[in-house]
Amino acid sequence: MENLPFYQSHGSEIELFERAWRNNLPLLIKGPTGCGKTRFVAHMAAKLCLPLHTVACHDDLTAADLVGRHLIVDGQTVWSDGPLTRAVREGGICYLDEVVEARKDTTVVLHPLADDRRILPIDRTGEILAAPPSFMLVVSYNPGYQNFLKGMKPSTRQRFISLAFDFPSATQEVAILIGETGIDEMLAKRLVSIANAFRALKDHDLEEVASTRLLVYAATLIKDGCEPALACRAALVETLTDDPETAMALREVIDATFGL
Amino acid sequence: MEEYVGQLWHKLVTRVADKQHADVAVSLDEISKTAAIFFRALGGDAGLNLSAAPSTRHGARRSWRDRLASSGEQVELSWRDGETLRLPEKIDIFTKRSLNRDLYLWLVALSAANVDDNLPWIVRNQKATQVTLERFPGLLARYRRLVNALLPLRPLPTNLPTAEAAQEAAIRQALIQPGSIHALPPSKKPFQPVLLWTHPTPPLSAASKGSSSDGAPEREQSEDKNVEKSRKKHSAERTDMPDGKDGFLMMFRAESLFSWTEYINVNRPQDEEDDVESAALAAEDMDTMTIARDGETSVAKLRFDLDLPPAGEDDTPLGEGIPLPEWDYKKQIMQPDYCRLQELVSQQAEICELPAQLRRTARCLRSQFQALAPTRTWLKGQQDGEEIDLDAWVRQEADLLSGKHSDSRGMYRAQVNQQRDLACLLLADLSLSTDAYASDHARVIDVIRDSLYLFSEALSATGDRFAMYGFSSLKRGNVRFNRLKSFDDRYDGLARGRIQAIKPGYYTRMGAAIRQASALLAEQPQRQRLLLLLTDGKPNDLDRYEGRYGIEDTRMALHEARQLGLRPFCVTIDREANEYLPHLFGAGGFAVIRKPEDLPKELPLLYAQMTR
Repeated sequence: MENLPFYQSHGSEIELFERAWRNNLPLLIKGPTGCGKTRFVAHMAAKLCLPLHTVACHDDLTAADLVGRHLIVDGQTVWSDGPLTRAVREGGICYLDEVVEARKDTTVVLHPLADDRRILPIDRTGEILAAPPSFMLVVSYNPGYQNFLKGMKPSTRQRFISLAFDFPSATQEVAILIGETGIDEMLAKRLVSIANAFRALKDHDLEEVASTRLLVYAATLIKDGCEPALACRAALVETLTDDPETAMALREVIDATFGL
Repeated sequence: MEEYVGQLWHKLVTRVADKQHADVAVSLDEISKTAAIFFRALGGDAGLNLSAAPSTRHGARRSWRDRLASSGEQVELSWRDGETLRLPEKIDIFTKRSLNRDLYLWLVALSAANVDDNLPWIVRNQKATQVTLERFPGLLARYRRLVNALLPLRPLPTNLPTAEAAQEAAIRQALIQPGSIHALPPSKKPFQPVLLWTHPTPPLSAASKGSSSDGAPEREQSEDKNVEKSRKKHSAERTDMPDGKDGFLMMFRAESLFSWTEYINVNRPQDEEDDVESAALAAEDMDTMTIARDGETSVAKLRFDLDLPPAGEDDTPLGEGIPLPEWDYKKQIMQPDYCRLQELVSQQAEICELPAQLRRTARCLRSQFQALAPTRTWLKGQQDGEEIDLDAWVRQEADLLSGKHSDSRGMYRAQVNQQRDLACLLLADLSLSTDAYASDHARVIDVIRDSLYLFSEALSATGDRFAMYGFSSLKRGNVRFNRLKSFDDRYDGLARGRIQAIKPGYYTRMGAAIRQASALLAEQPQRQRLLLLLTDGKPNDLDRYEGRYGIEDTRMALHEARQLGLRPFCVTIDREANEYLPHLFGAGGFAVIRKPEDLPKELPLLYAQMTR
């Protein structure tokens, strides 16, 4: 219990997660990138003493990648479990990160596992795996950043209870920065103020805004002795935009906060 | 000779009096994008436009040099109203370029501060300064530098009469220590303008003309490039229209030589005078342009209201017309059934072939786009895949048994290229502004026509479902929605004929057209639905549908479209689109084509990129 990953709660999400786990309900976590979804799942897995199987979903992820496939070993075909199957066999939390990145037909294999049947049929071997009580399916996605051709099937979505995450409030974000990196409070406040100024530009000048993760990066650089304005440029400005004029405006905001 | 000496003298005294530093000047154009983003980042209203402020007469005491050269009587100050943030067109008062630039950013930061507008000017500015410095402590050093540079440029209180000296001392104190002055001491002579603060009495701007919904059009989309280029707005003041019967009144007055600068009749929406250029020059020189409200029978009104063709010649209306709502951002309400949209189909359209000059490009596009057409194939011999490639394995085993060397190829089969489940509706702006010339030999409408052709060619090659409509409007009762190709129509000679028959006319009531297009697109069963808007300018119409009202209604219509699960995307050839499109479509939600003549080729490629 001592090495629990740091997580700053911002509502009733811990309680909800525990309830979902106790009642065998699958969970969907949505929120912008870098707001703490993955950290939350890691924290909960450690708290509930469950193994965590993480799959980062991507465009080419197939159902076979999740469930498993036959491999050829020494002239024999051998069945090899995919991460999902392994999680179902062993119990624990199976966490599919950025699930919308996977193609829609891929996520259909989750259906029998995500409703009250809690089974995983493996059609290639004819095996039907029943999930143990300790198994929990958690998926996450970022609603803002969605490929036009992707999205989640309503039939998939409706099998989950959903938790919406957003960037924490200013005071909580300050606490997170201090908790993660140990910088002093004044600096943390200034970083958060910059982040909130950038967040006002969402959907207008920036496609994605400064995440808490980026702030932690900036704070880490500063803690390491980096000059604050330089750290913010590297961690925030250049990460968020490629447009020189936008970058210049963002640098002005940083200068306006840290001074020249 | 007299003139020559006069010119020399003018040069000499203006150089002596000129406090400005042209070589270190910073202009609004070079900083406008940075300034706009800075403004929004600091919490400014994202719906505001950035525009150059007109210079206004300040009436304060001038130095003897200024009086000699008759310069320095006007000043450009910044202010903000419901639609626009106005900044000086250029700043050159300081000797260092960095200071001039700092002043711009300071003015932007100050305008972004949320302070009660009803406070007295001096209190409001000190309050805004305090709020800004508190939120962005890093600006403090910059502010100090600006104040230190500004104070020597202001008159010393000791050199001024008592009342003015008290005023000047108060302003200096307020600049040095914001929040310390609670009222401005009275004085007969106006004070020296404070360049670090906002305008004390912002003039009535042309945009904020209040309820002019049924008046004659005061500002018309001008096609004149020269007029458009000048971003500087003139401050407008309203005066009564002089009685037309006294047409010669001015001519008989001895001061007539001077009086023309005080009043010229600029009620000319179509700019038909031959002498536009000199009128424009004269207008540049004037500090106040007096514009009369002419609600009666002006030529312009007649022309625009009678412009709808008689029913017999007009395109055939389809159905009764569809009532549509419109968003009023000032009242924050949706006005139900506010517009009437008429779907039309061209009467003159004749079956025709693709124009010869486009055939080559069309052929290329077709072959490119066929690659996007849905195919679902198994690839053999992959390193990774869903299934084992038994053929490959058997071959390898056989090779091994027969002692042949086997190349270690992949032994899996993988499925590639999923189904495209996509519908696209293209909505093209056919307003009168598309009648302008985009390049030396093509009008905007011709560019749009070619784009529609090539777009259809490309999409019919992919097999994606698509529809095309054009729109224009004449006030809220006449939103014209031209059907070029519906989702169920085939792309054939008739559709090409309708594309051939498009012609520019009227205005751009974008919101209503987007709502109708969204409704049509939302009926499509495809899961991905793209609403593509092709335009050359901002939303505007004869009634109050212009400026922020039009923008906000369009924004609301786009918001509704997203709620319906559609994805709107805008392709524009308006070079100034960066000022308002981010607010409507968001970053990455639009593309600006710099060279309009590239549009026909770019549009299908954009589509391909977006849907790959």
